[in-house]
Amino acid sequence: MQESKPTLPKTIRAWTRPDSPQLVTAKSIFDYMDGAGELYIGYRFDHLESYEYKAKDLNNILVEVYFMKTSDDAFGLLSLDWEGEPLNLAGEPAQIAGKPVRSGKSPQSKAAPESSSWPRALYGEGLLRLWSDTVYARIMAHQETPESKEAVLALGRSIIKDRENPPPPKLLQKLPDTFPEDWVLGKERTSYFRSHLVLNSIYYLGQENMLNLDLSSEAIASPYEKKDSEGIKRIHFLLVKYSDHKRARQALGHFHNVYLPEHPIFLQSDSSGEISNMFLIEDGWLGYKIKDETIAFIFECPDQKTARTIINQI
Amino acid sequence: MPQRKSLTRRDFIRGTLGATVGTSLIGTKWLTAGGKATGSSLVTIVRDKGAMDASNNVNTKVLKTMLDQTLTKLTGKKTTKDAWLTLVKPEDTIGLVPTPHLNPTHQEVVDVVKSSLIDAGIPENKILNAQGGPDKPKACTALIGLPALKAHWLTGIGTVMKIYILYSGKPSNYHDQNNSKLGEIWNLPFVKGKTRLVLVDALHPLCDKGPQVNPRYKWAYNGLIAGTDPVALDTVCLRIITEKRKELRGEPWPLSPPPLCVEAADKVYGLGTSNWDKIKVEISGWKEGLLLG
Repeated sequence: MQESKPTLPKTIRAWTRPDSPQLVTAKSIFDYMDGAGELYIGYRFDHLESYEYKAKDLNNILVEVYFMKTSDDAFGLLSLDWEGEPLNLAGEPAQIAGKPVRSGKSPQSKAAPESSSWPRALYGEGLLRLWSDTVYARIMAHQETPESKEAVLALGRSIIKDRENPPPPKLLQKLPDTFPEDWVLGKERTSYFRSHLVLNSIYYLGQENMLNLDLSSEAIASPYEKKDSEGIKRIHFLLVKYSDHKRARQALGHFHNVYLPEHPIFLQSDSSGEISNMFLIEDGWLGYKIKDETIAFIFECPDQKTARTIINQI
Repeated sequence: MPQRKSLTRRDFIRGTLGATVGTSLIGTKWLTAGGKATGSSLVTIVRDKGAMDASNNVNTKVLKTMLDQTLTKLTGKKTTKDAWLTLVKPEDTIGLVPTPHLNPTHQEVVDVVKSSLIDAGIPENKILNAQGGPDKPKACTALIGLPALKAHWLTGIGTVMKIYILYSGKPSNYHDQNNSKLGEIWNLPFVKGKTRLVLVDALHPLCDKGPQVNPRYKWAYNGLIAGTDPVALDTVCLRIITEKRKELRGEPWPLSPPPLCVEAADKVYGLGTSNWDKIKVEISGWKEGLLLG
């Protein structure tokens, strides 16, 4: 079990926490939160420390600090929902979709440059969610008031204090900002994960774990959007990285057999070692490309030309 | 024997869910229909803007009036007592089944139902909290589902069909890929035919899947939704959640995973109807933001 690094204040304004947290491990997480535990063990989860701050005549503030085994996993949990007001608890510029948001008054952070393009804390209606190194935290005031908001933000600052500020997962760097023909990355709906349950909660593919996802793999799902006279069109991009090429190839074979059973499978690579295919199915063109240990998929392409252009671009 | 097939997004788009789920369930024990309480697919929605205050505290006096209206509209009886007595018998042991976690049923809803039953002549010691493992329904002759209206990250919707998940003894068997099988729990021998009423707590629903509650996705609907056809009820609940999500994003925002359990409860388990055209929705009270499309 990892060291419990963040030290939360005993008292924050009118609220006081118990001396020790409720400790939740992978074994006890279902007792704590029922089926929601599947989410956390779908990432590299170490343990959870939960505190209920109480105050006389005021609603409680719940603090949940999730200790993950890597910073990528903590980032992944925040990435499942980018809604909310991006906050700058540490002083670094907070941005999403390339647009700066609310700069803070704190000293300059030591964040790597690329980390500035993803928020590290989001607040809305009493709930603060944050990512800080290997920690993901949820701090929720059961009743939002100006006082509770101040307390929630102060607790957030105490959690991130003295923690490292690593960059987001490297796999994100493989996401192009745009594809040809004006398809733009929907950054605010980009998620990082390792579990097919999480994938299905983002973009439902089917009943079983057809991509063989597990804690040794990592994946990103993101829409790409294009505005035209008919409105917004959206295609769905999925990038999965496995521990090695053999596992990637097995996963692609499994996916193909389950999802595209009517199409013969050809996994012959070209001179570059890549394999790519495209198919017209019910909701548009589906394409995939495998190279080394990584597979890229596109779903719901409006036409073959777009699918081919994007597949060639990947 | 037909080949077992894994359900995929493509089945959902093609509308072949029922056939695919049916094929995948061949050999399972509790496939047969029969859990539906009555033949009626009437769903009542009773709303009152004053059911909660600005801080979302429940006004129990208003809630009691809403329950009275619900029961008389649903049964066609003039009094609450007569309405209850068409649904349950004084000698029944009645289990109340609220949603226990993650946007749980308001305790005020459970309390007002219990006191209303007592007022109707049901002895207090014959009214149990029946949420929990398989022993709970076994101790009851009648069940009243009291789920809270919410989306769910593993089942799409986590309201009516999911309310008995703990009765299976293996709730994780019904998550995600198996959420289409939730209907089979209603056909377990110790559950089948016991459901007399489902009353959905739609006071403060949750429209995003979570898995944990984010207040951003909760809103004051201030409603009670009731019926005896659990599938029709979940169909109406699904419509409300879907419309709310569309309102929030300004465009369709489909639930993911899709709520396969609702259609399967109809087409595979025969628990009721998911066909909107066959559901009669009676609405009373506050009309703003009904979210019925």
